Amino acid sequence: MINRIIDWAKGAISSRGKRKCSFPFINTFARFSEILVLNNKVLELIAEANDKLGGEYIFDRHYIETFCEEACDMVEKLIFALNEMAPGKYPALHDTFNKIRFDIEDILAGRQPRSEDRLVIPYSNINRDMTQEVGGKNAAIAQVGNFMGIRIPEGFAVTAAAFDMFMKENGLCQRIKEIAREWEQEKIDAVTASERIKPLIFAQRIPSRLKSAIEKAVSRLLKKKKGENIFFAVRSSAWGEDSEHSFAGQFSSILNVPPPGVTEAYRRVIASAYSPSALEYRRRIGYHEDEVVMPVACQVMIDAAKSGVLYTFDPVDPTTEVMLANATWGLGAPVVSGTTMVDEYRMERKFPHLVVESRISTKLKKLVLSKEGGTVIQDVPPRRQLAACLNKSELVELAETGLVIEKNFHKPQDIEFSFDRGGRLVILQTRQLAVKSLDAPTASELSGIRDKYPVIVDGCGTTAQEGIAAGPVHIVKDDRDLKDFPAGAILVTKFASPRFAAVLHRAAAIITEVGSITGHLATVAREYRVPAVFNCENVISLLEEGQEITVDAEEPAIFDGIVRELQYYALAEEPIEETYEYRLLRRVLKKIEPLNLVDPTEKNFSPEACETLHDIVRFVHEKSVQTIVDSGYYHPHDSGTAAGKLKLGVPIDLVVIDIGGGLDSLAQTGRKAVILPEQIMSVPMKALIAGIMHPGAWSNEPMAVDMGSFMSSLTRTFATEITSPQQLGQNLAVVSREYANISLRLGYHFTMIDAYVSENMNDNYAYFRFFGGVTDLDRRARRARFIGAVLSHYDFRVDIQGDLVVARIKKLEEEAMLERIYLLGLLVGVTRQLDVQMVNEKRITEYTEKIKQLMEDGHGKQKAT
Amino acid sequence: MENKKQLSILVLDDEPIVSKRLKPSLEKKGYSVETFTDSMTALQRVRERQFDIVITDLKMEGVDGMEFLTEVKKLWPDTEVIVITGFATMDTAKESFQKGIFDFLAKPFKLGEITEVIKRAEEKIRNR
Repeated sequence: MINRIIDWAKGAISSRGKRKCSFPFINTFARFSEILVLNNKVLELIAEANDKLGGEYIFDRHYIETFCEEACDMVEKLIFALNEMAPGKYPALHDTFNKIRFDIEDILAGRQPRSEDRLVIPYSNINRDMTQEVGGKNAAIAQVGNFMGIRIPEGFAVTAAAFDMFMKENGLCQRIKEIAREWEQEKIDAVTASERIKPLIFAQRIPSRLKSAIEKAVSRLLKKKKGENIFFAVRSSAWGEDSEHSFAGQFSSILNVPPPGVTEAYRRVIASAYSPSALEYRRRIGYHEDEVVMPVACQVMIDAAKSGVLYTFDPVDPTTEVMLANATWGLGAPVVSGTTMVDEYRMERKFPHLVVESRISTKLKKLVLSKEGGTVIQDVPPRRQLAACLNKSELVELAETGLVIEKNFHKPQDIEFSFDRGGRLVILQTRQLAVKSLDAPTASELSGIRDKYPVIVDGCGTTAQEGIAAGPVHIVKDDRDLKDFPAGAILVTKFASPRFAAVLHRAAAIITEVGSITGHLATVAREYRVPAVFNCENVISLLEEGQEITVDAEEPAIFDGIVRELQYYALAEEPIEETYEYRLLRRVLKKIEPLNLVDPTEKNFSPEACETLHDIVRFVHEKSVQTIVDSGYYHPHDSGTAAGKLKLGVPIDLVVIDIGGGLDSLAQTGRKAVILPEQIMSVPMKALIAGIMHPGAWSNEPMAVDMGSFMSSLTRTFATEITSPQQLGQNLAVVSREYANISLRLGYHFTMIDAYVSENMNDNYAYFRFFGGVTDLDRRARRARFIGAVLSHYDFRVDIQGDLVVARIKKLEEEAMLERIYLLGLLVGVTRQLDVQMVNEKRITEYTEKIKQLMEDGHGKQKAT
Repeated sequence: MENKKQLSILVLDDEPIVSKRLKPSLEKKGYSVETFTDSMTALQRVRERQFDIVITDLKMEGVDGMEFLTEVKKLWPDTEVIVITGFATMDTAKESFQKGIFDFLAKPFKLGEITEVIKRAEEKIRNR
């Protein structure tokens, strides 16, 4: 369509007597149009890929490869198009793009991206997808801390790349391999092999880059703790260690290491990979010696008052539905190694976790921290020897926490914990618990559950995150009323308000009557893996507070009571999010999706600062708008186009460039030219301006009060004294008689409108895209839903993905088209500060109604035509 | 579902995730499911017994999906075949329909979409 307009405009310009034709601007505009089309396509492609992670789709590796290829291809085309518009101006863009593309290729090939061979990573930057890089133990504990709101020790991981560096230094790797081979061929025994390998490791110099990386990470933590006396626990986090082969107890953990000793402790932990027992163990389970990769965990030592281990199921008889906890005074090492007497507790898995059994033993000794570092064994004072380590409320807290972790990992868990001297629960480690007899129910058992349990809802609602959950219903009427949300409850509510994200990690599942599966809450539900069903009509009236139900989000279905078959089924299945394809898609998306470049006035708005494909897309778009404004308005070389600034009653700093018949021929044009609204001849542009100027759109009641904050949100567009508008990202309209293309940046959101309106209804179309904003996600999401609701009501085909709203309409009669474009103008007026207004869900309906009212009061038609 | 005979489904796709994802979900809905990632083994299996529904990918190593479904239809004309493919073209779709398949789905698809197709196939089978 755009090509047709360009062809037409070329003709129109050349036939225009007064302004003689030359082609440069129209060529620039052609590239610009290409950029807009590609820009939209890439954003939609990325949003679609993100949707695939919801669990509803079946996709394979082929899809991921095709997606990456397409995205890279389009972005490369974008860069070429920008280069044609502004030749040679952004050479660094190509290098940045190639770097990102190589990273994506590395990820697809199962390699660590070369730009990311980090030696040390702080826990706050680790997530569950980094198992390869940081090892299972690190990835799991960081996931607990970063995504479940549970206290873990602060710390950092020394990565697989660090291990690799250490082993490659001075050919160590080769020498170890030779010894290991002798052992594998049974020429020497494990003890001899270990005795020969270990001295090599101890004699090895720690590469200076690695040494300084570890020291830096340690001193960063020291600084953060402001002179507090901190020590470290240095533990292995080897590949495969916490997987189906637990390697439990095979590798060293070194406790209470003073800061200067961390590097040495690191070496000792590495050496433990070659202990005789580790060698034997690997042989028994069929691990090759070249599969040894040992990332290491360095955690700030917790001064534990008491410690222990929690099993979220009884591994011997899981059907008893209890959790098991062992605990003792002081540090937990003796509990794990089985060298001391411990208390044993059993709590019910279901809320409120009644303690069904406590076996208190005589605890004579305890392991505690030594002041100088290391640990010492102390006598337990007589009055505490027979006292229970854990009280009821501690056990309940432990049980709740254990279930949150289990839910997130979708598997029974084996969890190491401590209560520190301040009485705070800290999780030290978690891994999958092997529960042998937790058999998955058979197909016929599963298909029979509908006869066995009353079905409350069947097939109603949409799946935002799949999964199975059981628990008591907790109905929330007001999204601010979340203080006492009980852990393990099923949140039932009217709207999928992003505010619920705050309690999602405690909820077993969430069911709403209204909600978008591409909204913010759905994204968070996916992150936390909380089963979520939206748009489940009248569900609130079907359920009672406290009623125990089971939700199967995949169907979606809700059963009365706890359906054990489904629960066991869920625990027996490999979580879909853990499959290779999901992990792969998440990893490549990290190089593609996040947008870091927002503000063009910031210094780092440069090709070098682009970290993702989305950043490049954003950069290209901004610079293309700038180029077109520059060549069509500030420095026009082309007498065939006319341009000027639109003078409107509202502050919308808009340059209008005419490519043929879009402006009155009497209109002044040029650098200082001012265009009056009545001089606009472009049919769609006229309708849009009428919409923007609709009484009540730009200044109505609640907003008038808020004019101050509105103006402040616009200052970036208007601070002309400080910076020239060229650098700010100019608002731009390119028009002809039947066509208008408008790029707006108001505050921090971007609106793009592309429309063609003529008497021939088959050619008519309008495209609207709205995206961005840096206000809080809650309000942004509401604004997106509001825009979607309005546009659907007026027959647009609407897609909302994340904070991207895309709406299309075509082939309407001229009058009907203009009415829709008028509506877009109205929305431009209303939405620019709307995120400020979107304080709750009710506002969505209020504003939708308001827009309808504004459209229906007659102005729509009159003004538009 | 009380007195109805359990329907049998064979799933063939060389990408293991497809079977991994479909099997539990279909079993939960009451179907008995066998999955294969190797078309040769799947072919041996369909020679042994009839499945009510066969779900197959088109592009695979060894025996190609088109050959596989041709063989299935030859052996068991009553078996309903559903094709799933990431390389959908008009030609492959046309060719598959000419061979008498029940439906054709382009990957990636939603779980709900394939369930819907399977349900329709089931209805057709039960109404025979």
